[in-house]
Amino acid sequence: MKRFFEKLVEGALLISGSITSITILLIVIFLFKEASGLFNSPVIEDGYVLAFNKDNPVKKLSSYQIKQIFDGAITNWDEVGGKEEPIEVVRLSDLTKYYTEAELGANFENIPAKASELTAKHPGIILFLPNSYIAKNFDGTLLKHETLRPGDFFGGKEWYPTASPSPQYGLLPLLLGTLWVSLGAILLSLPFGIAVAVYLAEISTMRVRNFLKPVIELLAGIPSVVYGFFGLVVIVPFLQKTFQLPVGETGLAGSIVLAIMALPTIITVAEDAMRNVPRAMKEASLALGATQWQTIYRVVIPYAKSGITSAAVLGIGRAIGETMAVLMVTGNAAVIPHTLLEPVRTIPATIAAELGEASAGGGHYQALFALGCILFIITMIISISVEFISSKKYSK
Amino acid sequence: MTSDIRHKKMLTIDAKNVDFYYSEFHALKNINIEVEKNKVVALIGPSGCGKSTFLRLLNRMNDLIDGTRMTGSVLIEGKDIYAPNIHVDELRKEVGMVFQKPNPFPKSIFENVAYGLRVNGIKDKTFIEERVIESIKSAALWNEVKDKLNKSAFALSGGQQQRLCIARALAISPKVLLMDEPASALDPISTSKIEELIYELKKDYTIMIVTHNMQQASRVSDKTAYFYLGEMIEYDDTIKIFTNPTELSTQNYITGRFG
Repeated sequence: MKRFFEKLVEGALLISGSITSITILLIVIFLFKEASGLFNSPVIEDGYVLAFNKDNPVKKLSSYQIKQIFDGAITNWDEVGGKEEPIEVVRLSDLTKYYTEAELGANFENIPAKASELTAKHPGIILFLPNSYIAKNFDGTLLKHETLRPGDFFGGKEWYPTASPSPQYGLLPLLLGTLWVSLGAILLSLPFGIAVAVYLAEISTMRVRNFLKPVIELLAGIPSVVYGFFGLVVIVPFLQKTFQLPVGETGLAGSIVLAIMALPTIITVAEDAMRNVPRAMKEASLALGATQWQTIYRVVIPYAKSGITSAAVLGIGRAIGETMAVLMVTGNAAVIPHTLLEPVRTIPATIAAELGEASAGGGHYQALFALGCILFIITMIISISVEFISSKKYSK
Repeated sequence: MTSDIRHKKMLTIDAKNVDFYYSEFHALKNINIEVEKNKVVALIGPSGCGKSTFLRLLNRMNDLIDGTRMTGSVLIEGKDIYAPNIHVDELRKEVGMVFQKPNPFPKSIFENVAYGLRVNGIKDKTFIEERVIESIKSAALWNEVKDKLNKSAFALSGGQQQRLCIARALAISPKVLLMDEPASALDPISTSKIEELIYELKKDYTIMIVTHNMQQASRVSDKTAYFYLGEMIEYDDTIKIFTNPTELSTQNYITGRFG
C-alpha cells in the first residue's frame, strides 16, 4: 500500500515536471512558428498590387525602396537599378488627374481598362491599386508575389507598420532603442547598486541592514506601472526642464526608471555575493593591517566578482524585458536614437502597444512575433551567460 | 604605567586584569599574563575556555564582533594597544596572526605574501620581491614553490597553504606572531613541519600559540598557560606545567582526564 502511494506521488511529480517543460517548449515553438511567416508575407499591403510599365527593366523592389518611392525620396528609376526615367507615382485617387470621372464610369467600372492603358502609355509609372481593379489582360508588370526579405527586417532602419503601400518592419530602431535604454539603465544602476551592496554587506550595522534590506526588497515588488507613473509625473518633467527639451519623454527617462527598477535585483544579488566572502578571508586581510576599505576593494570585491557580474547581467535582463514602465516614459518614437535625450521605442513596448491592432496572421502580427523571438534570444543569451559566469566561480 | 619598577626588562606582551564580555557572557576573567621577547607561549584548555578569545584580544580582532567589551589593559612592547590613539591597522602590522584553517587569498602565491606590503603602501618592486622571497624562505616553503610563484595559492596542499599564510604574516615583519591552532587542520607531516618552523621563528619573533594538542604544546613552547572557563588557572614554564602542575585542574586536563 505504501509502495503504491510512493509510486503515485512519483508519477504525479513526473507528470507535472513534463507538463511544465512541454508548455514552455510549446510557447517557444508557437513564438517561432508565428514569426517564421514574416518572410512569406508580401511587401505590400494585403489585397493591393503594384504595377510597372512592361518595358521597365525593374521587376523587383524591396520594401524600403517602395517606401522611399512613395515618400518621394527616390524619384528616378536609375536609383533602384532601372533606366534613367523619372518615377511617376499613381494611386487610385490620382487616376482622376489622367481621366475624367465620366471616362472612369459612373460605378468606376472602367478603371481596370484605363489602369492598363495608363500603365502601357507611361514608361516611368508605378501604379498602386487594389487587386480587384486589375484586369485579367493587364498590360504591364505586376509586383504581387514579392515577399519580405530577411534584410528588410534585420537590417531595416524603419519601423512603420501602417505605411502605405509598403509597411516597414525594420528591427534596428527598436533593437537599438532597447539596447540604448538598457545600457543607460545599467550604467546608472550598477555603480549605485554596488555601492549600496558594499554598504549593506560590509559597513552598515545590523540594525540599519535589517531595516534597509526589506525596504529594498519591497522595491522589487512594486508593479512596474507604478514606476512608469512615477517616471511620467516626476522624471519626465524634470528632464524636460533640466535639458530644455521639447519633450521630456526620452530614452534617458526610460533609463532612469529602469535603473530604479533594476536596483533591487543588483543590490540583492551583489550583496549576497559579498556576504558569501568567507569571514576567514576578510580576517586574513584585516590581520595583515589592511584597513576596512583596503579589505573591501582588494579582497571582498575581487572574491565576489562573479556574483557582482551576475548581478549586473540579471539587472540588464530585467531592463531589457521591462515593458510597461518604459512604454510610459520613453516617448515611443520608432527612430534610431542618436542621443539619450531623444524619444526611443523598445521591443517589448512595441509588442505591447501594437499587438492589439495587428490583424491576426498578417504581416504586422508576424513582425511582432519576430520581435518577440529577438527578445527571447536576447534574454536567453543573458541567462546562459549568467549560468556561465556563476559556474566559473566553482572552477576557480 | 610603562615605567613599572618591577619590569626593568621590557615585556613583549603584558596583559593586566583583562576581563572580556560577549554581550552578557563573561568570557575572560581577570587574566594576567607576561611574555618576554622571543619566547613561545602555548595556550591550552578545553574548547570554549577563552584561549582563542584571549589571543584575538592581542591584535584586536575581537573589535570586529558586535557587542563585545573589554576592561583591563594589554601592553605590547610597553604600548597600551587599547589606548584611544592607537590605530588598529597599525597595531595589526606589529602583531601578525595565523588562523586555524589556512586562508590564502584567491591570488597568486607571490601576491598572497605581497599583500601585507601592498596594503602598507609599499610600491618599491624590488623591495617587495626581496621581502616576499625572504618571507617564503623563513616559512620553509621556498623549495616547494619557487617555480610557481605566479600560480594560484589554492593549488597548494593544506600544509603548504598554512606555511604560505605564515609567510604572509611574516612579510610585514611583525613583532609578535599569534597562531590560533595553526596545525589542527593539517596532517601529521605538515604539523611537524609547522612545529619545526615555530622553533626556527622563535629566534626572531615572540609567538603565542593556541593548541589542543598537548604534545605540540610541550614540544614547541617555553611557557604554557592553562585556561578553564574563562579563567587562567595556571601559567608557568612548560616543563613545570607538564611535569609538576600546581593546580589539580591542570593536572586533570593534561593527563586527559577531561577536556
